[in-house]
Amino acid sequence: MIINASNLVKRYKDPDDKSKSFNAVDRISLSIGAGEIYGILGPNGAGKTTTLEMLEGLKDIDEGSAFINTIDVKQDPYKVKEIIGVQLQANEFFDNMNLVELLRLFTALYKKTNDPVNLLKKVNLVEKAKANTNELSGGQKQRFSIACALVNDPLILFLDEPTTGLDPQAKRSLWNLILDLNKSGMTIVLTTHNMEEAEHLCHRIAIMDYGKLIAEDSPNNLILKHAPNKVREPVQGNMEDVFIALTGHGLRD
Amino acid sequence: MFRSPRLYLTKVFIQIFLRNRQYIFFSLLLPIVILGIVGLNDGESNPIEIGLVDNSSSVISENFITKLSANHLFNIVESDEETLRKELIKGDLMLILVIPEDMESHDQTTNIKLLVDKSQIQFIESIKPILNQALLNIEREITKEEAMFDLTIEDVKSRSQNYLDFLLPGIMAFMLMNLSIAGSGFNVVEFRRKGILKRLFVTPIKPIDFVSAIVVARMIIVLGQLTAIFGFALLILDAHIIGSIMHLYLVIIIGILMFLTLGFSIGSLAKTQESVGILASIFIYPQLVMSGVFFPLETLPEYIQPIAKILPLTLVADAMRSIASDGLTLFQTYLDLVGIGIWAVIGTLVSTKLFVWKEVAG
Repeated sequence: MIINASNLVKRYKDPDDKSKSFNAVDRISLSIGAGEIYGILGPNGAGKTTTLEMLEGLKDIDEGSAFINTIDVKQDPYKVKEIIGVQLQANEFFDNMNLVELLRLFTALYKKTNDPVNLLKKVNLVEKAKANTNELSGGQKQRFSIACALVNDPLILFLDEPTTGLDPQAKRSLWNLILDLNKSGMTIVLTTHNMEEAEHLCHRIAIMDYGKLIAEDSPNNLILKHAPNKVREPVQGNMEDVFIALTGHGLRD
Repeated sequence: MFRSPRLYLTKVFIQIFLRNRQYIFFSLLLPIVILGIVGLNDGESNPIEIGLVDNSSSVISENFITKLSANHLFNIVESDEETLRKELIKGDLMLILVIPEDMESHDQTTNIKLLVDKSQIQFIESIKPILNQALLNIEREITKEEAMFDLTIEDVKSRSQNYLDFLLPGIMAFMLMNLSIAGSGFNVVEFRRKGILKRLFVTPIKPIDFVSAIVVARMIIVLGQLTAIFGFALLILDAHIIGSIMHLYLVIIIGILMFLTLGFSIGSLAKTQESVGILASIFIYPQLVMSGVFFPLETLPEYIQPIAKILPLTLVADAMRSIASDGLTLFQTYLDLVGIGIWAVIGTLVSTKLFVWKEVAG
């Protein structure tokens, strides 16, 4: 297992009553194998992002333990950061710098070398090499954000709601990118609100609510277990298929 | 080159700054305009505009007026009281002297009435002695009395300095404060709000890398900005520096460090971009008035003076002025330097205490 977390707890002060505290993440245990695409689902405020940020060494772990590629996150957060790539929900960058310069900066922060044009090729943004991030569309920004997460050739890629706010074309293009990266051997941990995305991409899914892990299995097993009687494959498509059929599969940005 | 993350980040911060042409332009415009206005002034003080109402029209009063007019410090405008009052209110006159009807005898003291605009009281207080002296001289000339004393003012510092030379260190100190605060406090809040800080800290860089990069970058930027202002004042406006320029720059460097730490404190205190603006204003503007940069400390109320003396800007401006105008060495300004050091320690403590690096996520 490349990620091993047991009984993770993140405690926050109650905003209504400062004397009380609550567990935003409440005894979460995760084991994720190398080469897996692992999805974390759950409503807003369920603790998905906090869980990721504890694994990434961004937030302190209040209780429990986490090991990434056998490195203890609590002991050695900086060593963990060397081998992971992270795409955050907010993806703003410095103004007045173009994509190539930003990628060079992020590469330098890892004391590594990596060809920025190559990275842009991976995410299909070569023609925007000299553009600033504020000239990118939502989908392009997300793809660039992933390019930034790849500068250190990470073993594990963390994606926090990578497709939120994207149009169907951009979303599908991003799915293909994620599948390609996974094929090259990268372990991917992502959070999402999009059930179709979870079903399409993930080998295994964890469902979180109120800071607790309430279910974990492959998409298929989860469906068999929790929604066996529903018609699984509708005869006709859904609205998204209509949209794609009418506007085409080609990526718009 | 720039292989180390810290150096690379420093380079990027400077690069970002250099690309913001508009910011560079406006950050230099204000001090250059202020210095330009002061420096291009020919140094001659304008005569004080005085209105004069002669109700007496006696020999004595005429004599008095002739003598007063001969004084180059004053410009006498003679008219009736009604007209002059209007001009005083308009601000064309500084004050009006009213000579009473009974100014005809040497034997009695004549009470000359002084009409003033109370809002100018500070200024009038400062010219009253000059006016008094002028009146006294005239009186002596008229009565042919020999003066018992004469006062020759000699500057013990014996330097050729003008108002610009007095103002330059203060303006530089003020600029140094503004630029350092803007460069640390505002940046941190902006980076945090945009999520840039968080993005940086998912890479293996440490907070100290980030802080030292921003400090070094800002140091270079502010030194560059100050040098531009300095060059303008020395080369174009012909300002003078008495002391060692190297010592002056050492004070500047220490001052920038102090204001950067205080700027980080403000940035750590402020949760939003709006509140950082207000907090910075609260920090900057009282100091503008109370630091002796533009107005002498002595004009402040007694009870504020002890506070004013230990303000960060006062200390930096005082140290810079001691070196630039009075020719002291760095070591002779040690009291100021100790004060600056204490503020720097306070700034460092407050910012590290308040800025929770782990929660940069906000």
